[in-house]
Amino acid sequence: MKPLQPVSAPARVSYGIGFFALFVAVWAVATLGGFVPKLFLASPITMVEEGWALMTVHGFAYDIGITIWRVVGGFVLAALIALPLGIMMGAYKPVEAFFEPFVSFARYLPASAFIPLLILWAGIGETQKLLVIFIGSFFQLVLMIAVAVGGVRRDLVDAAYTLGSSDRSVVSRVLLPNAAPEIAEILRMVLGWAWTYVIVAELIGSSSGIGHMITDSQALLNTGQIIFGIIVIGLIGLISDFLFKWANQRLFPWASA
Amino acid sequence: MNKLSIEGVGKLFAARGGAEPTRALMPTTLDIADKDFITILGPSGCGKSTLLRIVAGLETASEGRVLLDGRPVTGPGADRGMVFQSYTLFPWLTIIENIAFGLRERGVAEAQRLDVARRWAQQVGLKGFENHYPKQLSGGMQQRTAIARALANDPEILLLDEPFGALDNQTRALMQEMLLGIWEREAKTVMFVTHDVEEAIFMASRVVVMSARPGRIKADIAVDLPHPRPYTIKTSAAFVALKERLVEEIRAEVMASA
Repeated sequence: MKPLQPVSAPARVSYGIGFFALFVAVWAVATLGGFVPKLFLASPITMVEEGWALMTVHGFAYDIGITIWRVVGGFVLAALIALPLGIMMGAYKPVEAFFEPFVSFARYLPASAFIPLLILWAGIGETQKLLVIFIGSFFQLVLMIAVAVGGVRRDLVDAAYTLGSSDRSVVSRVLLPNAAPEIAEILRMVLGWAWTYVIVAELIGSSSGIGHMITDSQALLNTGQIIFGIIVIGLIGLISDFLFKWANQRLFPWASA
Repeated sequence: MNKLSIEGVGKLFAARGGAEPTRALMPTTLDIADKDFITILGPSGCGKSTLLRIVAGLETASEGRVLLDGRPVTGPGADRGMVFQSYTLFPWLTIIENIAFGLRERGVAEAQRLDVARRWAQQVGLKGFENHYPKQLSGGMQQRTAIARALANDPEILLLDEPFGALDNQTRALMQEMLLGIWEREAKTVMFVTHDVEEAIFMASRVVVMSARPGRIKADIAVDLPHPRPYTIKTSAAFVALKERLVEEIRAEVMASA
Protein backbone atom coordinates (compact mmCIF):
# COMPACT_ATOMS: atom_id res chain seq x y z
CA MET A 1 0.00 0.00 0.00
CA LYS A 2 1.21 3.49 -0.90
CA PRO A 3 0.77 6.09 1.87
CA LEU A 4 -2.13 8.52 1.26
CA GLN A 5 -3.06 6.84 -2.03
CA PRO A 6 -6.85 7.38 -2.38
CA VAL A 7 -9.28 4.46 -2.85
CA SER A 8 -12.09 4.46 -5.40
CA ALA A 9 -15.65 5.07 -4.18
CA PRO A 10 -16.91 1.49 -4.77
CA ALA A 11 -13.82 0.03 -3.05
CA ARG A 12 -14.36 2.35 -0.09
CA VAL A 13 -17.97 1.17 0.32
CA SER A 14 -17.05 -2.51 0.10
CA TYR A 15 -14.20 -2.11 2.61
CA GLY A 16 -16.57 -0.32 4.99
CA ILE A 17 -19.25 -3.02 4.70
CA GLY A 18 -16.52 -5.65 4.89
CA PHE A 19 -15.56 -4.77 8.43
CA PHE A 20 -19.19 -4.76 9.59
CA ALA A 21 -19.55 -8.26 8.10
CA LEU A 22 -16.34 -9.45 9.74
CA PHE A 23 -17.47 -8.04 13.09
CA VAL A 24 -20.82 -9.83 12.94
CA ALA A 25 -19.10 -13.02 11.75
CA VAL A 26 -16.70 -13.06 14.73
CA TRP A 27 -19.63 -12.36 17.04
CA ALA A 28 -21.66 -15.19 15.48
CA VAL A 29 -18.78 -17.68 15.74
CA ALA A 30 -18.12 -16.74 19.37
CA THR A 31 -21.77 -17.11 20.44
CA LEU A 32 -23.25 -19.74 18.10
CA GLY A 33 -20.06 -21.78 18.32
CA GLY A 34 -20.55 -21.96 22.08
CA PHE A 35 -17.31 -20.16 22.98
CA VAL A 36 -19.15 -17.59 25.08
CA PRO A 37 -21.96 -18.52 27.53
CA LYS A 38 -25.44 -17.33 26.43
CA LEU A 39 -25.83 -15.61 29.77
CA PHE A 40 -23.11 -13.09 28.94
CA LEU A 41 -23.61 -12.49 25.26
CA ALA A 42 -26.57 -13.22 23.02
CA SER A 43 -25.97 -14.41 19.45
CA PRO A 44 -26.79 -12.14 16.49
CA ILE A 45 -29.86 -14.27 15.75
CA THR A 46 -31.21 -13.99 19.31
CA MET A 47 -30.52 -10.27 19.18
CA VAL A 48 -32.63 -9.86 16.02
CA GLU A 49 -35.45 -11.96 17.51
CA GLU A 50 -35.38 -9.98 20.75
CA GLY A 51 -35.32 -6.77 18.80
CA TRP A 52 -38.34 -7.83 16.78
CA ALA A 53 -40.18 -8.68 20.00
CA LEU A 54 -39.21 -5.34 21.49
CA MET A 55 -40.60 -3.43 18.54
CA THR A 56 -43.78 -5.43 18.01
CA VAL A 57 -44.74 -6.50 21.54
CA HIS A 58 -43.10 -4.11 24.01
CA GLY A 59 -43.64 -0.83 22.15
CA PHE A 60 -39.95 0.00 21.97
CA ALA A 61 -40.60 2.55 19.20
CA TYR A 62 -42.09 4.81 21.86
CA ASP A 63 -38.89 4.57 23.93
CA ILE A 64 -36.80 5.41 20.88
CA GLY A 65 -39.00 8.42 20.21
CA ILE A 66 -38.70 9.62 23.82
CA THR A 67 -34.92 9.30 23.77
CA ILE A 68 -34.60 11.18 20.47
CA TRP A 69 -36.85 13.90 21.85
CA ARG A 70 -34.67 14.26 24.97
CA VAL A 71 -31.42 14.43 23.03
CA VAL A 72 -32.73 16.89 20.48
CA GLY A 73 -34.52 18.98 23.13
CA GLY A 74 -31.52 19.28 25.46
CA PHE A 75 -29.14 19.80 22.57
CA VAL A 76 -31.21 22.50 20.87
CA LEU A 77 -31.57 24.29 24.19
CA ALA A 78 -27.80 24.18 24.72
CA ALA A 79 -27.10 25.29 21.13
CA LEU A 80 -29.55 28.22 21.36
CA ILE A 81 -27.64 29.69 24.29
CA ALA A 82 -24.16 28.50 23.30
CA LEU A 83 -24.31 30.05 19.82
CA PRO A 84 -24.69 33.71 20.81
CA LEU A 85 -22.35 33.34 23.77
CA GLY A 86 -19.69 31.50 21.75
CA ILE A 87 -19.93 34.06 18.95
CA MET A 88 -19.57 36.94 21.40
CA MET A 89 -16.58 35.24 23.04
CA GLY A 90 -14.92 34.55 19.70
CA ALA A 91 -15.45 38.08 18.43
CA TYR A 92 -14.83 40.18 21.53
CA LYS A 93 -11.74 39.43 23.61
CA PRO A 94 -12.96 41.01 26.89
CA VAL A 95 -16.07 38.79 26.77
CA GLU A 96 -13.79 35.82 26.18
CA ALA A 97 -11.52 36.83 29.08
CA PHE A 98 -14.60 37.04 31.33
CA PHE A 99 -16.18 33.66 30.51
CA GLU A 100 -13.41 31.48 29.13
CA PRO A 101 -11.71 30.41 32.39
CA PHE A 102 -15.00 29.38 33.97
CA VAL A 103 -16.29 27.59 30.88
CA SER A 104 -12.98 25.75 30.51
CA PHE A 105 -13.37 24.57 34.09
CA ALA A 106 -17.05 23.68 33.73
CA ARG A 107 -16.30 21.68 30.60
CA TYR A 108 -14.46 19.12 32.69
CA LEU A 109 -17.33 18.64 35.13
CA PRO A 110 -18.77 15.25 34.14
CA ALA A 111 -22.42 15.61 33.18
CA SER A 112 -23.20 12.17 34.59
CA ALA A 113 -21.93 13.21 38.05
CA PHE A 114 -24.63 15.89 38.10
CA ILE A 115 -27.42 13.35 37.80
CA PRO A 116 -27.93 12.80 41.56
CA LEU A 117 -27.92 16.55 42.12
CA LEU A 118 -30.27 17.16 39.20
CA ILE A 119 -32.68 14.53 40.50
CA LEU A 120 -32.68 16.44 43.77
CA TRP A 121 -33.38 19.72 42.01
CA ALA A 122 -35.62 18.73 39.15
CA GLY A 123 -36.97 15.32 40.10
CA ILE A 124 -36.88 12.39 37.71
CA GLY A 125 -39.03 13.99 35.03
CA GLU A 126 -38.12 15.32 31.62
CA THR A 127 -36.53 18.51 32.97
CA GLN A 128 -33.80 16.48 34.65
CA LYS A 129 -33.04 14.54 31.43
CA LEU A 130 -32.88 17.72 29.39
CA LEU A 131 -30.59 19.32 31.98
CA VAL A 132 -28.12 16.43 31.80
CA ILE A 133 -27.87 16.82 28.02
CA PHE A 134 -27.65 20.57 28.42
CA ILE A 135 -24.76 20.43 30.92
CA GLY A 136 -22.99 17.81 28.84
CA SER A 137 -23.08 19.76 25.60
CA PHE A 138 -23.38 23.46 26.48
CA PHE A 139 -19.85 24.14 27.76
CA GLN A 140 -18.24 22.12 24.99
CA LEU A 141 -20.27 24.00 22.38
CA VAL A 142 -19.43 27.43 23.79
CA LEU A 143 -15.69 26.86 23.80
CA MET A 144 -15.49 25.27 20.38
CA ILE A 145 -17.73 27.89 18.76
CA ALA A 146 -15.62 30.67 20.32
CA VAL A 147 -12.46 29.14 18.86
CA ALA A 148 -14.09 28.73 15.44
CA VAL A 149 -15.28 32.35 15.35
CA GLY A 150 -11.99 33.77 16.66
CA GLY A 151 -9.96 31.69 14.23
CA VAL A 152 -10.73 33.94 11.28
CA ARG A 153 -7.80 34.93 9.07
CA ARG A 154 -6.64 38.38 10.16
CA ASP A 155 -6.17 39.59 6.58
CA LEU A 156 -9.84 38.87 5.75
CA VAL A 157 -10.84 41.18 8.60
CA ASP A 158 -8.34 43.80 7.40
CA ALA A 159 -9.75 43.54 3.88
CA ALA A 160 -13.30 44.08 5.17
CA TYR A 161 -12.23 47.19 7.10
CA THR A 162 -10.56 48.69 4.04
CA LEU A 163 -13.81 48.09 2.16
CA GLY A 164 -15.66 50.22 4.67
CA SER A 165 -17.05 47.58 7.08
CA SER A 166 -18.06 48.71 10.56
CA ASP A 167 -17.08 46.67 13.62
CA ARG A 168 -20.54 45.15 13.76
CA SER A 169 -20.60 44.20 10.15
CA VAL A 170 -17.15 42.60 10.46
CA VAL A 171 -18.78 40.26 12.98
CA SER A 172 -21.94 39.58 10.99
CA ARG A 173 -20.50 39.56 7.46
CA VAL A 174 -16.99 38.18 7.98
CA LEU A 175 -16.60 36.34 11.29
CA LEU A 176 -19.95 34.53 11.12
CA PRO A 177 -19.98 33.30 7.53
CA ASN A 178 -16.31 32.40 7.89
CA ALA A 179 -17.00 30.21 10.94
CA ALA A 180 -20.38 28.81 9.80
CA PRO A 181 -19.15 25.53 8.26
CA GLU A 182 -16.95 24.82 11.26
CA ILE A 183 -19.82 25.61 13.65
CA ALA A 184 -22.04 23.17 11.76
CA GLU A 185 -19.30 20.56 12.13
CA ILE A 186 -19.06 21.28 15.88
CA LEU A 187 -22.83 20.84 16.26
CA ARG A 188 -22.59 17.50 14.48
CA MET A 189 -19.82 16.31 16.76
CA VAL A 190 -21.34 17.48 20.05
CA LEU A 191 -24.72 16.00 19.13
CA GLY A 192 -22.88 12.68 19.01
CA TRP A 193 -21.63 13.23 22.55
CA ALA A 194 -25.12 14.21 23.71
CA TRP A 195 -26.23 10.68 22.80
CA THR A 196 -23.88 9.19 25.37
CA TYR A 197 -25.26 11.49 28.08
CA VAL A 198 -28.92 10.70 27.40
CA ILE A 199 -28.39 6.99 27.92
CA VAL A 200 -26.59 7.61 31.22
CA ALA A 201 -29.45 9.89 32.30
CA GLU A 202 -31.99 7.19 31.40
CA LEU A 203 -30.10 4.44 33.20
CA ILE A 204 -30.86 6.17 36.50
CA GLY A 205 -34.35 7.06 37.62
CA SER A 206 -36.25 6.78 34.38
CA SER A 207 -39.41 4.98 33.28
CA SER A 208 -38.98 5.29 29.53
CA GLY A 209 -36.35 5.61 26.85
CA ILE A 210 -33.67 3.38 25.36
CA GLY A 211 -31.51 3.61 28.51
CA HIS A 212 -34.45 2.54 30.66
CA MET A 213 -35.09 -0.48 28.45
CA ILE A 214 -31.40 -1.43 28.79
CA THR A 215 -31.51 -1.38 32.63
CA ASP A 216 -34.75 -3.39 32.57
CA SER A 217 -33.18 -5.97 30.28
CA GLN A 218 -30.18 -6.22 32.56
CA ALA A 219 -32.45 -7.23 35.44
CA LEU A 220 -33.88 -9.97 33.20
CA LEU A 221 -30.40 -10.97 31.96
CA ASN A 222 -31.65 -10.37 28.41
CA THR A 223 -28.38 -9.50 26.64
CA GLY A 224 -30.12 -9.73 23.25
CA GLN A 225 -32.31 -6.74 24.09
CA ILE A 226 -29.39 -4.79 25.54
CA ILE A 227 -27.35 -5.27 22.38
CA PHE A 228 -30.35 -4.41 20.22
CA GLY A 229 -30.78 -1.17 22.18
CA ILE A 230 -27.10 -0.30 21.77
CA ILE A 231 -27.25 -0.99 18.04
CA VAL A 232 -30.34 1.21 17.67
CA ILE A 233 -28.43 4.07 19.31
CA GLY A 234 -25.55 3.48 16.92
CA LEU A 235 -27.87 3.51 13.91
CA ILE A 236 -29.61 6.71 14.96
CA GLY A 237 -26.20 8.32 15.48
CA LEU A 238 -25.12 7.20 12.02
CA ILE A 239 -28.27 8.61 10.41
CA SER A 240 -28.05 11.97 12.18
CA ASP A 241 -24.37 12.20 11.25
CA PHE A 242 -25.21 11.50 7.64
CA LEU A 243 -28.00 14.11 7.62
CA PHE A 244 -25.69 16.72 9.12
CA LYS A 245 -22.96 16.04 6.56
CA TRP A 246 -25.46 16.15 3.74
CA ALA A 247 -26.92 19.46 4.96
CA ASN A 248 -23.48 21.00 5.48
CA GLN A 249 -22.38 20.17 1.97
CA ARG A 250 -25.49 21.82 0.57
CA LEU A 251 -25.39 24.84 2.87
CA PHE A 252 -21.68 25.56 2.42
CA PRO A 253 -20.67 24.52 -1.09
CA TRP A 254 -17.74 26.96 -0.96
CA ALA A 255 -16.14 25.17 1.99
CA SER A 256 -15.99 21.59 0.74
CA ALA A 257 -12.64 20.68 -0.77
CA MET B 1 -2.42 69.35 -5.53
CA ASN B 2 -1.54 66.66 -2.98
CA LYS B 3 -3.99 63.82 -2.60
CA LEU B 4 -2.08 62.19 0.23
CA SER B 5 0.39 63.74 2.66
CA ILE B 6 2.53 61.57 4.89
CA GLU B 7 4.00 63.87 7.55
CA GLY B 8 6.85 62.51 9.68
CA VAL B 9 5.23 59.10 10.03
CA GLY B 10 7.35 56.59 11.97
CA LYS B 11 6.71 53.26 13.62
CA LEU B 12 8.15 51.60 16.70
CA PHE B 13 7.17 48.07 17.67
CA ALA B 14 7.02 47.46 21.40
CA ALA B 15 9.46 44.82 22.57
CA ARG B 16 8.78 42.20 25.21
CA GLY B 17 10.06 42.37 28.75
CA GLY B 18 11.20 45.97 28.94
CA ALA B 19 13.69 45.71 26.07
CA GLU B 20 14.19 48.68 23.74
CA PRO B 21 11.35 48.92 21.20
CA THR B 22 12.28 48.03 17.61
CA ARG B 23 12.11 50.78 15.04
CA ALA B 24 10.52 49.60 11.81
CA LEU B 25 10.15 52.95 10.13
CA MET B 26 12.08 56.24 10.54
CA PRO B 27 9.93 59.38 10.49
CA THR B 28 8.99 59.62 6.83
CA THR B 29 7.55 62.49 4.86
CA LEU B 30 6.04 61.95 1.44
CA ASP B 31 3.47 63.72 -0.71
CA ILE B 32 1.49 61.99 -3.41
CA ALA B 33 -0.14 64.12 -6.10
CA ASP B 34 -3.69 63.57 -7.27
CA LYS B 35 -4.00 60.86 -9.96
CA ASP B 36 -0.33 59.97 -9.56
CA PHE B 37 0.98 56.39 -9.59
CA ILE B 38 3.86 55.95 -7.21
CA THR B 39 5.69 52.78 -6.30
CA ILE B 40 7.51 52.26 -3.02
CA LEU B 41 10.55 50.09 -3.70
CA GLY B 42 12.60 48.50 -0.95
CA PRO B 43 14.16 45.28 0.32
CA SER B 44 12.00 42.94 2.40
CA GLY B 45 11.47 44.04 5.98
CA CYS B 46 12.29 47.69 5.26
CA GLY B 47 8.99 48.96 6.61
CA LYS B 48 7.38 49.75 3.26
CA SER B 49 4.38 47.55 4.01
CA THR B 50 4.14 49.10 7.47
CA LEU B 51 3.99 52.54 5.86
CA LEU B 52 1.22 51.37 3.52
CA ARG B 53 -0.73 49.79 6.37
CA ILE B 54 -0.49 53.05 8.33
CA VAL B 55 -1.93 54.91 5.33
CA ALA B 56 -4.70 52.29 5.16
CA GLY B 57 -5.39 52.85 8.85
CA LEU B 58 -4.71 49.19 9.71
CA GLU B 59 -1.74 50.18 11.88
CA THR B 60 -1.29 53.28 13.98
CA ALA B 61 1.76 55.47 13.52
CA SER B 62 4.02 55.94 16.54
CA GLU B 63 4.60 59.51 15.40
CA GLY B 64 3.49 61.84 12.62
CA ARG B 65 0.23 61.80 10.71
CA VAL B 66 -1.32 60.95 7.38
CA LEU B 67 -3.65 63.38 5.58
CA LEU B 68 -6.00 62.37 2.79
CA ASP B 69 -7.41 65.41 1.00
CA GLY B 70 -6.26 67.42 4.02
CA ARG B 71 -8.19 65.30 6.53
CA PRO B 72 -6.21 63.20 9.01
CA VAL B 73 -6.52 59.42 8.75
CA THR B 74 -7.75 57.87 12.00
CA GLY B 75 -8.63 54.33 10.97
CA PRO B 76 -9.42 52.13 7.99
CA GLY B 77 -12.12 53.32 5.62
CA ALA B 78 -13.65 52.86 2.21
CA ASP B 79 -11.87 55.97 0.88
CA ARG B 80 -8.60 54.00 0.82
CA GLY B 81 -8.99 50.75 -1.10
CA MET B 82 -6.40 48.09 -0.45
CA VAL B 83 -5.13 45.01 -2.27
CA PHE B 84 -3.07 42.58 -0.20
CA GLN B 85 -0.30 40.21 -1.15
CA SER B 86 -2.18 37.25 0.35
CA TYR B 87 -5.43 36.13 -1.25
CA THR B 88 -8.09 37.93 0.76
CA LEU B 89 -11.28 37.23 -1.19
CA PHE B 90 -14.13 36.09 1.04
CA PRO B 91 -14.35 32.38 0.27
CA TRP B 92 -18.10 32.19 1.01
CA LEU B 93 -18.98 34.83 -1.58
CA THR B 94 -18.97 34.42 -5.35
CA ILE B 95 -16.71 36.61 -7.48
CA ILE B 96 -19.49 39.09 -8.20
CA GLU B 97 -20.52 39.23 -4.52
CA ASN B 98 -16.89 39.76 -3.52
CA ILE B 99 -16.58 42.70 -5.91
CA ALA B 100 -19.86 44.14 -4.61
CA PHE B 101 -18.90 43.71 -0.93
CA GLY B 102 -17.93 47.32 -0.29
CA LEU B 103 -21.05 48.62 -2.02
CA ARG B 104 -23.21 46.36 0.13
CA GLU B 105 -21.50 47.73 3.25
CA ARG B 106 -22.44 51.19 2.05
CA GLY B 107 -26.07 50.12 1.58
CA VAL B 108 -26.23 50.39 -2.22
CA ALA B 109 -29.31 48.62 -3.60
CA GLU B 110 -28.67 45.09 -4.84
CA ALA B 111 -29.48 45.64 -8.52
CA GLN B 112 -27.26 48.69 -8.66
CA ARG B 113 -24.31 47.14 -6.86
CA LEU B 114 -24.41 44.02 -9.04
CA ASP B 115 -24.42 46.32 -12.06
CA VAL B 116 -21.26 48.07 -10.87
CA ALA B 117 -19.66 44.76 -9.90
CA ARG B 118 -20.39 43.26 -13.31
CA ARG B 119 -18.79 46.23 -15.02
CA TRP B 120 -15.64 45.81 -12.90
CA ALA B 121 -15.55 42.05 -13.44
CA GLN B 122 -15.46 42.81 -17.14
CA GLN B 123 -12.78 45.51 -16.73
CA VAL B 124 -10.38 43.07 -15.06
CA GLY B 125 -11.15 40.29 -17.53
CA LEU B 126 -13.34 38.07 -15.34
CA LYS B 127 -16.42 37.95 -17.54
CA GLY B 128 -17.90 34.47 -17.32
CA PHE B 129 -16.51 33.83 -13.82
CA GLU B 130 -18.99 36.02 -11.93
CA ASN B 131 -20.69 33.12 -10.16
CA HIS B 132 -17.59 31.11 -9.33
CA TYR B 133 -16.25 30.84 -5.81
CA PRO B 134 -12.70 32.13 -5.16
CA LYS B 135 -11.24 28.65 -4.63
CA GLN B 136 -12.25 27.75 -8.18
CA LEU B 137 -10.03 30.51 -9.59
CA SER B 138 -6.27 30.75 -10.17
CA GLY B 139 -4.12 33.06 -8.06
CA GLY B 140 -3.96 35.64 -10.85
CA MET B 141 -7.74 35.68 -11.22
CA GLN B 142 -8.18 36.01 -7.45
CA GLN B 143 -5.92 39.08 -7.43
CA ARG B 144 -7.84 40.54 -10.39
CA THR B 145 -10.99 40.13 -8.31
CA ALA B 146 -9.30 41.77 -5.33
CA ILE B 147 -8.36 44.76 -7.51
CA ALA B 148 -11.90 44.98 -8.89
CA ARG B 149 -13.31 44.73 -5.35
CA ALA B 150 -11.17 47.64 -4.17
CA LEU B 151 -11.98 49.76 -7.25
CA ALA B 152 -15.72 49.05 -7.26
CA ASN B 153 -15.81 51.04 -4.02
CA ASP B 154 -14.50 54.06 -5.97
CA PRO B 155 -11.78 54.90 -3.37
CA GLU B 156 -9.86 58.19 -3.32
CA ILE B 157 -6.60 56.25 -3.39
CA LEU B 158 -5.73 52.65 -4.21
CA LEU B 159 -3.13 50.99 -1.98
CA LEU B 160 -1.43 47.83 -3.18
CA ASP B 161 0.88 45.74 -0.99
CA GLU B 162 2.98 43.55 -3.33
CA PRO B 163 -0.25 42.34 -4.95
CA PHE B 164 1.52 40.23 -7.57
CA GLY B 165 4.21 38.89 -5.23
CA ALA B 166 2.83 35.35 -5.15
CA LEU B 167 2.25 35.06 -8.91
CA ASP B 168 4.52 33.52 -11.54
CA ASN B 169 6.48 35.87 -13.82
CA GLN B 170 4.24 35.60 -16.90
CA THR B 171 1.03 36.15 -14.94
CA ARG B 172 2.66 38.98 -13.06
CA ALA B 173 3.57 40.77 -16.32
CA LEU B 174 -0.01 40.47 -17.58
CA MET B 175 -1.39 41.78 -14.30
CA GLN B 176 0.96 44.77 -14.42
CA GLU B 177 -0.31 45.69 -17.89
CA MET B 178 -3.92 45.24 -16.80
CA LEU B 179 -3.52 47.46 -13.73
CA LEU B 180 -1.62 50.09 -15.70
CA GLY B 181 -4.38 50.05 -18.32
CA ILE B 182 -7.00 50.65 -15.64
CA TRP B 183 -4.98 53.51 -14.18
CA GLU B 184 -4.58 55.12 -17.60
CA ARG B 185 -8.35 54.93 -18.17
CA GLU B 186 -9.67 55.70 -14.68
CA ALA B 187 -7.04 58.19 -13.48
CA LYS B 188 -6.84 56.98 -9.87
CA THR B 189 -4.24 57.88 -7.27
CA VAL B 190 -2.20 54.75 -6.62
CA MET B 191 0.40 53.79 -4.02
CA PHE B 192 2.02 50.49 -4.92
CA VAL B 193 4.54 48.67 -2.70
CA THR B 194 6.96 46.21 -4.30
CA HIS B 195 10.46 44.79 -4.01
CA ASP B 196 10.70 44.15 -7.76
CA VAL B 197 12.71 46.86 -9.52
CA GLU B 198 11.27 46.24 -12.98
CA GLU B 199 7.73 46.29 -11.65
CA ALA B 200 8.43 49.53 -9.76
CA ILE B 201 9.59 51.30 -12.93
CA PHE B 202 7.06 49.86 -15.35
CA MET B 203 4.05 50.83 -13.25
CA ALA B 204 5.00 54.18 -11.81
CA SER B 205 5.42 57.79 -12.68
CA ARG B 206 7.53 58.06 -9.53
CA VAL B 207 9.61 55.47 -7.68
CA VAL B 208 10.33 56.03 -3.99
CA VAL B 209 13.27 53.89 -2.84
CA MET B 210 13.44 52.90 0.81
CA SER B 211 16.48 51.90 2.83
CA ALA B 212 16.95 48.70 4.80
CA ARG B 213 15.39 48.51 8.26
CA PRO B 214 14.69 50.89 9.90
CA GLY B 215 13.15 52.21 6.68
CA ARG B 216 13.58 55.73 5.45
CA ILE B 217 13.27 57.31 2.02
CA LYS B 218 16.57 56.98 0.22
CA ALA B 219 15.72 58.24 -3.24
CA ASP B 220 12.71 59.67 -5.06
CA ILE B 221 13.03 59.16 -8.79
CA ALA B 222 10.65 60.36 -11.51
CA VAL B 223 9.91 57.91 -14.31
CA ASP B 224 9.44 59.91 -17.52
CA LEU B 225 8.35 57.07 -19.76
CA PRO B 226 5.42 57.79 -22.08
CA HIS B 227 1.89 56.41 -21.67
CA PRO B 228 0.36 54.10 -22.73
CA ARG B 229 3.26 51.81 -21.91
CA PRO B 230 3.45 48.56 -23.83
CA TYR B 231 5.37 45.71 -22.17
CA THR B 232 8.06 46.12 -24.85
CA ILE B 233 9.12 49.31 -23.07
CA LYS B 234 10.95 47.11 -20.59
CA THR B 235 13.74 46.63 -23.13
CA SER B 236 14.03 50.29 -24.16
CA ALA B 237 17.27 52.17 -23.40
CA ALA B 238 15.60 54.65 -21.04
CA PHE B 239 13.98 51.82 -19.05
CA VAL B 240 17.22 49.86 -18.81
CA ALA B 241 19.14 52.93 -17.65
CA LEU B 242 16.60 53.55 -14.88
CA LYS B 243 16.68 49.93 -13.92
CA GLU B 244 20.48 49.95 -13.61
CA ARG B 245 20.32 52.95 -11.35
CA LEU B 246 17.63 51.51 -9.10
CA VAL B 247 19.23 48.08 -8.94
CA GLU B 248 22.35 49.80 -7.65
CA GLU B 249 20.37 51.70 -5.00
CA ILE B 250 18.56 48.58 -3.81
CA ARG B 251 21.67 46.41 -3.91
CA ALA B 252 23.42 48.61 -1.40
CA GLU B 253 20.43 48.26 0.94
CA VAL B 254 20.15 44.52 0.57
CA MET B 255 23.86 44.20 1.33
CA ALA B 256 23.38 46.32 4.43
CA SER B 257 20.59 44.10 5.72
CA ALA B 258 21.38 40.60 4.44
